[in-house]
Amino acid sequence: MSAQAMTRPVAGGRAGGRRVRTVLWHVGVAVVVLVLLYPVIWLVSTSFKPADEVLSNLALLPRHATTGNYGQVFGGVAGYSIWQYLGNSLTVSIGAVIGNVLSCSLAAYAFGRLHFRGRGPLFGFMISTIMLPQHVVLIPQYIIFQKLGLVNSFWPLILPKFLATDAFFVFLMVQFVRGLPRELDETATVDGCGPFRTFWYVILPLLRPAIITTSIFTFIWTWNDFFTQLIYLNDPAKFTLPLALQIFVDQTSKSAFGPMFTMSVLALVPIGLFFLAFQGFLVEGVSTSGLKG
Amino acid sequence: MRSRTPRHGARILAGVVSVALAGVLSGCGSSSGSGGGAQTVRFVWWGNQDRADATKKAVALFEKKHPDIRVQTEFSGYAAYVQKLTTQVAGGAAPDLIQLDRPTFGEYQHKHVLADLGRYTGSTLHLDKIPANLLSGGKADGKQYAVPAGQTTQMLVYDQKLFAKAGVTVPEDGWTWKQFTEDMRKVGARTGVAGTTDFGWAVDWFDSWLHEHGKQLYTADGKLGFTAGDLEQFWNATAALRKTKGVSAPEATTKMDGSTQNSALVLKQAASEMNYDSNLTSYLSSYQGTLKAAPLPSDDPAHSGMAALPPVYFGIAQHSSHKDAAAKLLDFLVNDPEAGAALGATRGVPANSEVRAAVCGAATGDGKAVCDYEQRVQQRMGPSDTWQWPSGSSAIKTDFQQVYDDVIFGRTSVSAGAERVVKNAQQSLEQ
Amino acid sequence: MANTALTRPARQVTARPAQRSRPRRRGQRAAYVFLSPWIIGATVLTVGPMLASLYLSFTDYDLFDSPKWVGLDNYVRMFTEDDRYWHAVTATLEYVVVSVPLKLALALAVAMLLNKDRRGTGFYRSAFYAPSLLGASVSVALVWRAMYGDGGVAGRVLGVFGIDVGSMVDQPRYALLTVIALAVWQFGAPMVIFLAGLKQVPKELYEAAALDGAGPVRRFLAVTLPMLSPVLLFNLVLETIHAFQSFTSAFIISSGRGGPSDSTLLYTLYLYQRGFNDFRMGYASAMAWVLLVVVGLITVLLFRGANRWVFYMGEGKR
Repeated sequence: MSAQAMTRPVAGGRAGGRRVRTVLWHVGVAVVVLVLLYPVIWLVSTSFKPADEVLSNLALLPRHATTGNYGQVFGGVAGYSIWQYLGNSLTVSIGAVIGNVLSCSLAAYAFGRLHFRGRGPLFGFMISTIMLPQHVVLIPQYIIFQKLGLVNSFWPLILPKFLATDAFFVFLMVQFVRGLPRELDETATVDGCGPFRTFWYVILPLLRPAIITTSIFTFIWTWNDFFTQLIYLNDPAKFTLPLALQIFVDQTSKSAFGPMFTMSVLALVPIGLFFLAFQGFLVEGVSTSGLKG
Repeated sequence: MRSRTPRHGARILAGVVSVALAGVLSGCGSSSGSGGGAQTVRFVWWGNQDRADATKKAVALFEKKHPDIRVQTEFSGYAAYVQKLTTQVAGGAAPDLIQLDRPTFGEYQHKHVLADLGRYTGSTLHLDKIPANLLSGGKADGKQYAVPAGQTTQMLVYDQKLFAKAGVTVPEDGWTWKQFTEDMRKVGARTGVAGTTDFGWAVDWFDSWLHEHGKQLYTADGKLGFTAGDLEQFWNATAALRKTKGVSAPEATTKMDGSTQNSALVLKQAASEMNYDSNLTSYLSSYQGTLKAAPLPSDDPAHSGMAALPPVYFGIAQHSSHKDAAAKLLDFLVNDPEAGAALGATRGVPANSEVRAAVCGAATGDGKAVCDYEQRVQQRMGPSDTWQWPSGSSAIKTDFQQVYDDVIFGRTSVSAGAERVVKNAQQSLEQ
Repeated sequence: MANTALTRPARQVTARPAQRSRPRRRGQRAAYVFLSPWIIGATVLTVGPMLASLYLSFTDYDLFDSPKWVGLDNYVRMFTEDDRYWHAVTATLEYVVVSVPLKLALALAVAMLLNKDRRGTGFYRSAFYAPSLLGASVSVALVWRAMYGDGGVAGRVLGVFGIDVGSMVDQPRYALLTVIALAVWQFGAPMVIFLAGLKQVPKELYEAAALDGAGPVRRFLAVTLPMLSPVLLFNLVLETIHAFQSFTSAFIISSGRGGPSDSTLLYTLYLYQRGFNDFRMGYASAMAWVLLVVVGLITVLLFRGANRWVFYMGEGKR
């Protein structure tokens, strides 16, 4: 019925009209996608432009393509190899992933399966911290790490993840744990497994999808994170990619724009790869749990 | 509710967490030591590309002479530099050798960030060839905390072709304000490019203007030396020029940060610009066209608004663990003839009088322009001791530009803006 | 390594048979063990710091000397003396009020465009979602600055239509708009959520509406919007809270200054400047608490107001 209503304006051949509509729709959507992704495409193309084209040429193809910018970036930025920044970013991101997966799944199991006094209020409190602007805890946290002499190290960026401060992922996993059939852990209990072994041998393997979602998002968010890294990392030897990009901005030289955009591309590559590999997972994760992108 | 159990569990988990973390972090190796017994000195400064190139050359010379010391250099633009340095100091990651200017010197000396250089003076660090008027700026409570890296003075750098096109010639003994105002309008009207960069943006040019009127930004005891009325008068003058294209448009002025990249002159949005001559080499190397330096306009040669000032200082961090090495590097940068030759006039003319004579004697090109200018305006320079900036002046400098942004974009009136600067400045000085 | 560490607590628990009398207690104890990282984190990194920042907000503290009690000074100064604070509040409110509705409208529009059983929707969905992943990065903010800066694409495109805007990022009139544009660009995340919501709307409702002679607009207003309202509320709350905390884009686009003329001085950017450039930790803490209270109030208001327009399936069947 609705199909009929939709095709009514096109008199005559139904199928033909539908095809025209479909083509128009594809063209329309594709144009919108192109406009939307123009900045990204421009960025990638600019990284292959010679210095004099970087700011003047808005076209998507360089007139004289060059890999000179890449050569310059791989030759080192501010005295450090780009691999060092890459390594720092990876260390922080992977550390955060391990921390989040471990601590959040532990907490999620407790909240989702075990009975203990104070579960209700604690769970409520946990949920409320999802909404908490991080700025409220930012300064005292900074002071704590400063007094401990841990500013300018990766600890302030990783340690909190091991303490399940990303309540969102706890919540995500709690939802998942609750969805698991109880019979499984009951069987395990009958077999003589305590809660710890049940968690390790039964729950954790079943949690896999939630763990993957958590891992991907933790990785991407940490990789992109600028604010925390800006505050805690000061020494260029410890800089992550987003901070190293800042070096270009600060070094007040127009000739640095080519390498700057090149490094911007490199900083986005891991996200791009994750996206290509897990796009289904990512989009599914967002639509089922409301994860922020 | 929380009895023994959770604490017990906490201890176990803390163990788990630390074991796991050690695994994560072991791969990244802490970079506190640098291996091989060599010391690494971190040396930071702000400035443009030409300064960076020259400094790195000088540092390479130093490393050759001292194979046991490695120097790690970092540089950036001024605003970013100040921002970052503050966070580094707070985070306990202060660099060893630090470039400072008058406002930041006051700030850091006050916060006990800088080491007393007395221990090194005479042994590693030689100051006897540096004029007393320059040295005095790096002193506080009778102790030397920083060493001037050179000597600079104020200038107006202008595009000769644009000025010629407008039929404007620079008077032999400098402009009076009246002539200057007229000429800048002429340039604006005849070339389409604003006569000069709106000089209301920096507290530095206000300080010059105050000196021309027998006042100064800060009194000797660190109090505010001007009133809101003074500032109102100064900003009213630039406002009048702005309406007639005598000075640059707000969009150009708002970007000003002392770097050539954002300079309205270099971006061809103004035909001239006030700055210190320590930046002249940067202008010359990044400008397309021919530039020349002229003295600031003034109505009375005895009050020219110009003085011999240290463009920047070098100081050593109190908590540095390589103070000796840093002192060696400092001494080398200031006193070594080879270093002097490499650095040229990228931080003004050298502070060491012997090095200065040698560098200026042999100078060609950009460096020569700075030497020549310094030579030419030497007679106009007033005493240097009225230009000290106390602790709090760094915040005042930032706030000054902030408020001026509001003024040029019409967000606040000149008089309200001037009041705000004075009110905020008094607060900053009290703290 | 982690394996053995994790199983260790289990062994210790079983080692004390006297206390194992009731499995419940064992469960209790186990629960706390599982929760302990979270409990430590919540205590040391959340509750403790919240109280600490509340305390600090009544002090003058610069990290070097110890905090000095100043009572309500910070708050008084913030509300009555600090012009820049109000600039920040204005900029933030403008940012939130403009960017959130625009982003949600675009998200909904594209979601409806994609809500078809056609080939390629999966690909498009991913393509529209991509900016949400990239947009928070420094890289994209740098691109933005170039695009809306001197000689950038935005100025030239508008120039074609005879509109001369010059360098948008250097003018207070336009600078915030460029930051807003970057926020709206990331409409993919709410779009995906809308799309999931649209899939839940029963087809029969549309068919029934069509039978009643409802046109597309009417169908949208009478069926889509009410059915989607819970999702809309969810997106609205999430995006609003998120927008209040935006930082990176404004920081990069304005080179950390929040200019020109404080036009891009988002609240968190000013908080950062006060805290980590001026080291007025007390003042910054006071700012953070005001932010917390305001965001909390707005969330409550959104939920309260939602009673009027959010439609839940269950009650709708009356």
